[in-house]
Amino acid sequence: MRKFLAVVKREYIQRVRTKFFVVATILGPVLMAGFTIVPAMMFSIKSGGPTRLAIVDQTGKMYDRVAKELVTGKEAKTNVATMKPPSQPGGPKSPREQVDEAGQSVKPSFEIEQARLDNRSIDDVRKDLEAKVQNRNLEGYIVLPPNLLKGGQPEFRARNTADLFTKGNVESAISRAVRGQRLVEAGIDEKTVAQASEPVDLKTVEAGGKESKGEASFFFVFGIGLLIYMSVLLYGQFVLGAVIEEKETRIAEILFSSMRSFPLMMGKLVGVSLVALTQLGIWAVAFLVFSLWAAGGSSITLPHIPPMLFLYFTVFFLMGYFIYSTVYAVVGSMVTTTQEGGQLALPVVLMLVAGFYLSFNIIRSPSSPLAFWASMFPFFAPITMLVRIVTETPPLWQILLSLGIGIATIVGLIWLASRIYRVGMLMYGKKATIPEVWRWVRQS
Amino acid sequence: MEDTKPTLVLDHVSKSFGEFAAVSDLSIEVRPGRVFGLIGPNGAGKTTTIRMIVNITAPDSGRIELFGQLMSTPLQDRIGYLPEERGLYKRMKIGEQLRFFAELKNLRGAEAEKRIDAWLKKLQLSDWKDKRTKELSKGMQQKVQFITAVIHDPDLVILDEPFSGLDPVNVELMKDTILEQKAAGKTIILSTHQMEIAEKLCDDVCMINKSRKVLNGKLREIRRSFSRNAVALQFEGGNGVLNDPELVTNIRQHGDDTEVLLVPGASPQVLLRRLMDSGATVTRFELVEPTLHDIFIEKVREVA
Repeated sequence: MRKFLAVVKREYIQRVRTKFFVVATILGPVLMAGFTIVPAMMFSIKSGGPTRLAIVDQTGKMYDRVAKELVTGKEAKTNVATMKPPSQPGGPKSPREQVDEAGQSVKPSFEIEQARLDNRSIDDVRKDLEAKVQNRNLEGYIVLPPNLLKGGQPEFRARNTADLFTKGNVESAISRAVRGQRLVEAGIDEKTVAQASEPVDLKTVEAGGKESKGEASFFFVFGIGLLIYMSVLLYGQFVLGAVIEEKETRIAEILFSSMRSFPLMMGKLVGVSLVALTQLGIWAVAFLVFSLWAAGGSSITLPHIPPMLFLYFTVFFLMGYFIYSTVYAVVGSMVTTTQEGGQLALPVVLMLVAGFYLSFNIIRSPSSPLAFWASMFPFFAPITMLVRIVTETPPLWQILLSLGIGIATIVGLIWLASRIYRVGMLMYGKKATIPEVWRWVRQS
Repeated sequence: MEDTKPTLVLDHVSKSFGEFAAVSDLSIEVRPGRVFGLIGPNGAGKTTTIRMIVNITAPDSGRIELFGQLMSTPLQDRIGYLPEERGLYKRMKIGEQLRFFAELKNLRGAEAEKRIDAWLKKLQLSDWKDKRTKELSKGMQQKVQFITAVIHDPDLVILDEPFSGLDPVNVELMKDTILEQKAAGKTIILSTHQMEIAEKLCDDVCMINKSRKVLNGKLREIRRSFSRNAVALQFEGGNGVLNDPELVTNIRQHGDDTEVLLVPGASPQVLLRRLMDSGATVTRFELVEPTLHDIFIEKVREVA
């Protein structure tokens, strides 16, 4: 036991003292913020000014409507007069507004011009417009066929068809315009149409009664998933590196001549886990201090975090850490270099990645059968169960069952690992093969 | 002395890895307070034998007894081990490193600190206590590694190639240190390829080749039994005397020295008389016992 503690102590002190730990502790939150906020901003900030589109209106009456819908976008209110002239698209927005919008949809600004037929054939006009698109005078153009109102298919041609936001906006703008025109032609008064089409502004309220900001909590859940994913991966890599160092420098030989391999391996895993908890603890305290400061009258609003979440996070982080680090320890004992270790560990890392991607689906339907099974599978559970707890807390028995399965998996993995570790650590010069490893497990 | 209880007994010990037999039916006894040389060519099974002695691996069959008890984990604290493949944590300071390895042998606190300082001073490393391993030369790392093997004052010290990477001055320092350990009553198992050093340090020798013991006993007796009727000579003149196949089977020239192997049963006196008769000036004439080196090579060739 005292030898086990000596290993834990060495592992902890040597790591916490490194520059890397200090830098990672400081930069971690910055990076996390970067990973969640920057992509949202990148999506919403459309570089290169407004999207310039031309509309070829073969119906002869739809141009105004479509242009208006495109320029005003989804948020069109009754007040039709807010429509700005095509040459003056919506003014620049603050990044804050843009981040807010990124959660639902992105509203790019459009600059619309009409391409008149003027007795030319449609093919001539197309040729003309294609040339403009090629010369970058336009981003794209829309062709409204004569039979648009009777089911004719409009056409959207653009240089960049991969820009889904623009495509979606164009599609819905034309739909709205067509719907409005049909209603007017059916004899309904223009004003009534405008009132009837006014979109609702959904107010999101959690079942408990607290009002929550949809986007904010999406990013919060996403951030939690990302945090657990990154810390498990990072600290797993530490274990891998530590094991390979001891193997390659042959320290293992001295260690094994002084203690049994099981407390040695456990000492390593526990030591590194304490380093991780120290780091996460520092972050938690920093976050609390920051929220207290923010609560005292600053404009920054932080998501509300129930205290239980800290506990859940710790528990599920440890579960993920021990599952993946044990695998990393085994991999480390089987290989001779870090590169080899990375390759061999790849299938396992992919499981962690899969768990992370599953959480996107789970955020949307946290009580689906998929969510249930994903949060029972021990290699996914650290991320998926936590995401479920944050979005829509499942019944306690599910949480406990998931933890139980996780603990059983850890015990099994450690049992297996200690057998492989002992033999692997003393085998030098070449990478162990899976059949070899299987033999070690059976023999010891 | 023969009836003192042996420190270590290996009784018909075997170990194989899959098809490959690393150690076959090895029986040895190591007596207390002596230096026991474990020698043999590369891949003979020395390292596997040592790993079984320090309880890193268990034998497939046979029995290992240390200090009169069956091998077990607690007994590991009474062994000091310098492995052939050395390892120290590269980024850890020397002092901390020694403290950690001492703790693994259940030595901690002020006593550990005191011994670490004493050993560092003895091996001229005191200035390096707060340096990291990677800042040390290979020879210095080697000495640090040696300290990890003896810091807890073990009763049995196992040294696998303790001289590799050391300059001549440090080889002497290491030899003296080993002899001091012996004088302090420790039992020492020394595994090395450097036969000249083994010859000077070892009281007993066990030679293994291809997993089997080929030779075992007191070094002095082994050398006597291998006496091959060899003479070391320094002379001038006397041309042709050594070319008599009835008298001489082999001649080796080392600079001014000539080593002559006589036909079994031939008398060295006859050789000396013939040289004198031929008018040669003999400046050295000495009967030589075979060196451990010679015995080693002869034994390895015999098996091959």
